[in-house]
Amino acid sequence: MKTADIVRRAGRSLRHAKIRTILTSLAIGVGAFTLTFSLAAGEGARKYADTLISSNVDANSLAVSKDADFFNGGQGGGVKEYDPNQGNFQGTTLQRLSQEDIVKLGKIKDVKEVTPLYDITPTYITRDGQKKYSLTASQYDPTIRVELAAGQLPKNKAQLADDDVLLPDVYLSPLGFKDASEAVGKTIVIRVDRRGGVDAAEVQQIVATQGVAGLQQLAAGQGKDFVLRIAAVSKKSAAAFQSSTAVSISGTKAQEMANFSTKDTPDYQKYALATVQAKDGSDPAAVKAAIEKEGYTAKTAKDLQDILFTIVNVLQGIVAGFGVLALIASVFGIINTQYISVLERTQQIGLMKALGMRKRDVSRLFRYEAAWIGFLGGLIGAGLAWGIGTLANPKISEALGIGSENHLLIFQFAPIAALIASLMLVAIVAGMLPARKAAKLDPVEALRTE
Amino acid sequence: MIEVKNISKTYGKKKTEFQALKDISFTIADGASVAIIGKSGSGKSTLMHAMSGLDRPQTGQILVDGINILELKQKQVDKFRSDQIGFIFQSFFVQANESCFDNVSLPLEIAGISRSKRKKMVQAALEEVELSEKIKSRARDLSGGQKQRLAIARAIVSEPKILFADEPTGNLDSVTGAKIEELLFGYNRQKGVTLIIVTHDHELAAKCDVRIFVKDGVVDSIEGTTVKGAKK
Repeated sequence: MKTADIVRRAGRSLRHAKIRTILTSLAIGVGAFTLTFSLAAGEGARKYADTLISSNVDANSLAVSKDADFFNGGQGGGVKEYDPNQGNFQGTTLQRLSQEDIVKLGKIKDVKEVTPLYDITPTYITRDGQKKYSLTASQYDPTIRVELAAGQLPKNKAQLADDDVLLPDVYLSPLGFKDASEAVGKTIVIRVDRRGGVDAAEVQQIVATQGVAGLQQLAAGQGKDFVLRIAAVSKKSAAAFQSSTAVSISGTKAQEMANFSTKDTPDYQKYALATVQAKDGSDPAAVKAAIEKEGYTAKTAKDLQDILFTIVNVLQGIVAGFGVLALIASVFGIINTQYISVLERTQQIGLMKALGMRKRDVSRLFRYEAAWIGFLGGLIGAGLAWGIGTLANPKISEALGIGSENHLLIFQFAPIAALIASLMLVAIVAGMLPARKAAKLDPVEALRTE
Repeated sequence: MIEVKNISKTYGKKKTEFQALKDISFTIADGASVAIIGKSGSGKSTLMHAMSGLDRPQTGQILVDGINILELKQKQVDKFRSDQIGFIFQSFFVQANESCFDNVSLPLEIAGISRSKRKKMVQAALEEVELSEKIKSRARDLSGGQKQRLAIARAIVSEPKILFADEPTGNLDSVTGAKIEELLFGYNRQKGVTLIIVTHDHELAAKCDVRIFVKDGVVDSIEGTTVKGAKK
C-alpha cells in the first residue's frame, strides 16, 4: 500500500472520530503550548540578554580580578588567613588588586587601558540651598550607552571632563531643578568622608568629652566637598545595567574620591576589580589568556553573556520540563485512544487484512493516525502559544519594564516546526503498541459474525 | 483451477481439541460456480478461509493454478488475496462512515494501484452493480441490498479470478437476494470468474454448477461437474 494512501486513510478515520481526535490532540497540545512558550521565552531572554550586553558592555573590555572567587560569588571561599591585600566586596573576602597589579596589567600585550574599580563611597549630594541626599556614585563608563534627557556627553567614547558629572534624572526634583535642561551647567556638591584616621575608641572619647558637636567637627575636618558641574542628565533606560540612581563621575574624580576616603586604611589603592580595555582589533579571548597567565582572573564580555545565557537556559529548561511532563501524560492518552480505536475497528481491520493488506501496512495505518494526532496537537498548542504570546508580548514588556522594543517571547518558525515534528515522532512511538495489536489481529477471528 | 488435497484443520489443544476439517479433497475448475453447503459448525466457513489463504490447515495442500498457497509466506499470501480473490460477506462489512467510492477503492489502495487508475476502476465496478449515482454517498445511507451491491463492487473492482461469497443473501429479503444472486452469477458467466458460495440455502446452491456438501468437517457428497464439462 502506498504511503500517501495510508496517510490519507489515517486522516480520514480520525475525521470520523472528530471529538475523540481533538480531545486526544488537546492533551498533546498542552505540552506543545508549554514547550513553544519555553522556546519563545528562551529565545526572547537570550535576545534581551544580548541587547543588554551589547549596549552595556564593550566587547573589547574585560573584567579582571585577582581572586578567582570574585566571579563565583565567593563560593570557593571559607575562612581565610588575614592578608592586608584582602578586602570585603559585597560580603565576600577577596584578594584585591594593588597599584602594582594595575601597572602590571597595563603592560600585557594588546592592553590599551586599565581602569580600576574605585571604591567610591560618597556621603551625600547637595547643592546650594537644598537638603542633603544620599547617593551612589560610579565611575563614568563611556562604553555604556546612556539615554540623555538633556546635555551632552563627550564624543568617541572619551572620559568625562574631570569636574563633570552625568546626573540621573531622579535627582532633579530633590535638588530643586524644574527639568533636565535647567540642571545642565549647574554645579552640585558631593561630599566624601574619610574612613580611616579615627578608631571607635577615639570616637567614643570625643562624644564623651565634647558631645555630638565635637563629632561633627571631627567629621567636618575629615571630609571633603567636591564641587562638580552637571554635564548631562540621563534617563532611565530599559536596556541599562547601571543602577538608575548612580551619579557618574569622571575617572580622575573617582580616583581622587577613592584615594581620599581610603587614605591611611588597608583599602587604600586596593581594587576588587579592574576593567581592562583590549586594543581595537585584538582578540579579547587572547588578552584574557595573557592576563590569566599572570595569575589574575578575567572575564570577557562574552563570558558575561555566557553566564547570563546559562541562567536563561536553566530557566528555559525548567519550563520545558513541565512541557515534557505534560507530553508524557498525553502519551498515555494516545495509547488509550488508539487502543480503543483498534478494538472498535476490529471488523475494519479484519476486512483490510482479508483484502490482502499487509501487517506492516496495518501497523503503519495506526501509527500514522497517532502521528496525525501529534501533528494536530502540536499545531493547536504551538498556534495558541504563538497567538497568545504575540498578543501578550507588549503587556509582558510593560510589566517587566524591559522596554517596548524588547520582547520576552520570540516565536521562530524553525524551532516550532521542529517541535511539531518531534511531537509527531513521540505520538508515533505512543501509537506503536496499539498499532502492533492491530497488525496482529487474526482476520478470521475479526470477521466472525456468529 | 483450485485443487484441495487432504486438508485437515484442528482448533484448540488436547481436551478442547476440535477437528473442523478432516481430510478434505476436491477440485474446482476455473470459471465454475461452486456452492459449499453445510449447517453452521459443519466447517464450511473454515474451508472457505483455508481456500482463500486466511486460515492455514495443519496438513494437506491447496493448489491454486498449481501453487500451494499453504507454503507461501505471509507477504505472498497477502499479495495472492489482494490480486486474485474477492470477498463478499453475509454482513457486508462495508465501512458505514466512508463514501461508496472510498469503500470500493480500498482493495485497489491495498494493491498499490495509482490514484488515477483507481478512479476509473471504481467507477466501472460501481456501474457494474448499478450504484454509479451513489458514488459520493456514505455507505450508511444505503439500503441492505445496496450495501451488498457495494460489497460486490468492492469484491470485483480489482478483477479477481476467484470470488468467495459467504452467505451473500443471508441478511437480505428474497427480492433483493435474488438481485444479488443475479449479479453474482451474471458476473461469473460474463467474466469467467470462479464463484465459490458458502451457504446453507439449498435453493441458492441449486443454481451452482457444483455443490459440495460438508458435514462435520468432511465432504459428504459432491454434485455436479467438478471439472468443467466432465461428470464425476
